[in-house]
Amino acid sequence: MKRVGLFLLPLGLFLFIVVFLLQGLFSDPREIESSLLEQPVPEFRLPDVMDASIEYGPEVFEGELTLLNVWGTWCVTCAIELPFLTELRQQGVRIVGLYYEQNMDPDFGGKSLPQIRADIDRTLSQLGNPYVFNIFDESRDTSMDFGVTGAPETFLIDRQGKVRLHHVGDLNERVWQAKFLPLYQELSQ
Amino acid sequence: MLAELGHFSLVLALLMAILLAIYPMWGAQRGQVLMMQTAKPLTVGLFLFTLFAYLCLTQSFLDNDFSIAYVAHNSNSLLPWYYQITAVWGGHEGSFLLWVLIFAAWAVAVAMFSGGIPQDILARVLAIMGMVGVGFYLYILLASNPFERLLPFYPVDGRDLNPLLQDFGMIIHPPLLYMGYVGFAVVFAFAIAALVAGRLDSTWARWSRPWTLAAWVFLTLGIALGSWWAYKELGWGGWWFWDPVENASFMPWLVGTALLHSLAVTEKRKAFKSWTVLLAIAAFSLSLLGTFLVRSGVLVSVHSFASDPTRGLFILGLLVLVIGASLLLYALRAPQLRSVGRHELLSRETMLIGNNILLCSATLVVLMGTLLPLVHKELGLGSISIGAPFFDEMFVYLIVPFVLLMVMGPLSRWKNQPVAALRNQMLAGLGLSVVAVVLLNMGRDGLSYMAVLGMALSVWIAIATVQEIRQRLSASKQGLAGLTSLTPSHWGMVMGHLGFAAMIMGIAMVTSYSVERDVRMTPGDSIELQGYEFRFLGVEALQGPNYSGHVAKLDVYEDGRKVSHLEAQKRFYTVQRNIMTEAAVDPGFTRDLYVALGEQLNNGDWALRVYVKPYIRWIWGGAALMAIGGLLSMSDKRYRMAKLAKVREHKVSAAGEAA
Repeated sequence: MKRVGLFLLPLGLFLFIVVFLLQGLFSDPREIESSLLEQPVPEFRLPDVMDASIEYGPEVFEGELTLLNVWGTWCVTCAIELPFLTELRQQGVRIVGLYYEQNMDPDFGGKSLPQIRADIDRTLSQLGNPYVFNIFDESRDTSMDFGVTGAPETFLIDRQGKVRLHHVGDLNERVWQAKFLPLYQELSQ
Repeated sequence: MLAELGHFSLVLALLMAILLAIYPMWGAQRGQVLMMQTAKPLTVGLFLFTLFAYLCLTQSFLDNDFSIAYVAHNSNSLLPWYYQITAVWGGHEGSFLLWVLIFAAWAVAVAMFSGGIPQDILARVLAIMGMVGVGFYLYILLASNPFERLLPFYPVDGRDLNPLLQDFGMIIHPPLLYMGYVGFAVVFAFAIAALVAGRLDSTWARWSRPWTLAAWVFLTLGIALGSWWAYKELGWGGWWFWDPVENASFMPWLVGTALLHSLAVTEKRKAFKSWTVLLAIAAFSLSLLGTFLVRSGVLVSVHSFASDPTRGLFILGLLVLVIGASLLLYALRAPQLRSVGRHELLSRETMLIGNNILLCSATLVVLMGTLLPLVHKELGLGSISIGAPFFDEMFVYLIVPFVLLMVMGPLSRWKNQPVAALRNQMLAGLGLSVVAVVLLNMGRDGLSYMAVLGMALSVWIAIATVQEIRQRLSASKQGLAGLTSLTPSHWGMVMGHLGFAAMIMGIAMVTSYSVERDVRMTPGDSIELQGYEFRFLGVEALQGPNYSGHVAKLDVYEDGRKVSHLEAQKRFYTVQRNIMTEAAVDPGFTRDLYVALGEQLNNGDWALRVYVKPYIRWIWGGAALMAIGGLLSMSDKRYRMAKLAKVREHKVSAAGEAA
């Protein structure tokens, strides 16, 4: 009978795989847990997108509950979420933008800074400006450190400067109510 | 109307499959000839009804019948007619219809060309095919019906075929791949039938070997075509991405290759019996797993069809039934199998065991790399991703012992191989290949170890193949005339191994010596790359049937002489609002020149990506050689049992026909 055990091995291996496939069916592979959760925001030193003489670091998150929204004028979904974010700002939510330009290929140069600023001004005046200020992630290193996979993405950062929530995709009424609001209310007490 | 007819025809096909699953098997178990005889007509019926349903769907595409949901989602009235025909398999439902059509075609082929096989075995084989078929026809009818109507509100025009699929490579890539995937169903059916009957002798291996070869040839060509298509269409010069779906097609190929070798041992030496059966089950199981992975949305991939958990659940259920049941049957029956052939440690058998172990390790590596991210996440350990570096590294480790066995195997004798003779041959081969590599690399600066290793391995295989033929010739004592006495299946092995050598050479050269430059150019500019001067002539507007775009024109000069004119396109498909890169490629035996058009920059310059890719054709050429090898093996006379039997019966000189 020992031989039968050996020959059952393939069946066992197969059933083992099936269990995971079954679980995998009901979870979204694109949903990625941020490795930054409960961690302090990564170190950075970046200029304001509108004024290169202003510089920001992780201290901008200290003392205030903040939403960090990663966006760009080139990003269509970001344009869709801007009005809702503006609404949030009017309700008193502090939103900081992390702006990055998609085509910053060093080989090609891409958009010039004045042009980027003009584009931002136009977009924000049309769709509403939810941002207290925008951090300009020129080389995209900081987005990388934050684990950003694309735009838009939003982080909820608590008063101690720790990342508490990472949302990939647009922030709308439904996501806000279901995912952000409970934690936001708890943290703002 | 056509859609309803097609739907009805598919229901009839399901009925055929159900009958096919029951009666012939029953007949075979009871020894009733009449019931066994129903197998053939039922299989033919299965095929014809499926074919009719398929043709109905195709005609609906040609008629631009956008009241059918599937047509509306995957076609457009502006789509050229040939893409309307191929659009049938451009989406989930239709590609599954193609899947079952090919499945039925294989079943009919088995019914037609298996004259020499005893009736009860054939009845069982077809019944097994029927059982597998029932599940998949049910799936189509219940969960993925391609004939669903969008009534009463149907669109005026369709959403167009995914532009990525509007390409010649795409016209034949999926059918070839499916031929390969589904083809393993035949050897699977043979294996299960043999397990059910309890008769697993070497004739079993002889019957299933040509079918395995056929499936393997299709799979080889299908994968190679997919790689070629990605190279041309995705615009960044890669030829293999270790994408989950590529992996899904690669795993059955690896196991199929192991199966081919293992079948040879079972046929000739009556050894490895239970192992061969397991491989036969595994090859088809991995094909099914591939189907599941592509269609369920479990993994992130460029190939994903619509991800719908209910469909995924249905396919998973099928997998559990088909694979689970066959592995259970295997566990119950296989322990009774005894291998009779004995062999010494140093013998061809041992080398082939090694070959099988390495191919299966490679399969496990791919399987783990593909599924580990999923397992990792489901265990709550967070998301990880496993990419090319992991696979590349693992395959470098695997390829060296693999090539070593590939050199030793053909040079060794069955049963027992004297050490000294083999050692001398191998040392001679190794020495020659080192010399060859040194000569090939003279004058090249910036040597890469990987390239040198790959070249040495490749040349070594080629030399060993020649040594093996020489060995055969000297044994036959006929001189060069002995070449004709080698069997086609022997030449098949030679071609297969040479093809593999060519592929390694291509891979080693491309990965190590490709050069690429991203450049901004104004018309009139030129850049120099690897001795080639790319002169940018300018960009013109482009208007196609269902797209518009830009085309960049370049002339390429070598030593002041014009060698090529390239036109790289950037297309904008208006209906799907997709931008597609059509790279311009000047193919060559030792190098490809490759240009992809990027964006227009603010000052009117254009971004271009220029590559010189040495020996990349060798990768696909190698695959083609392997496929030719497979075809040669199939043509071997010893698999023509039906014809041999007939010849004997009629006592007529049908030698010409038999050849």
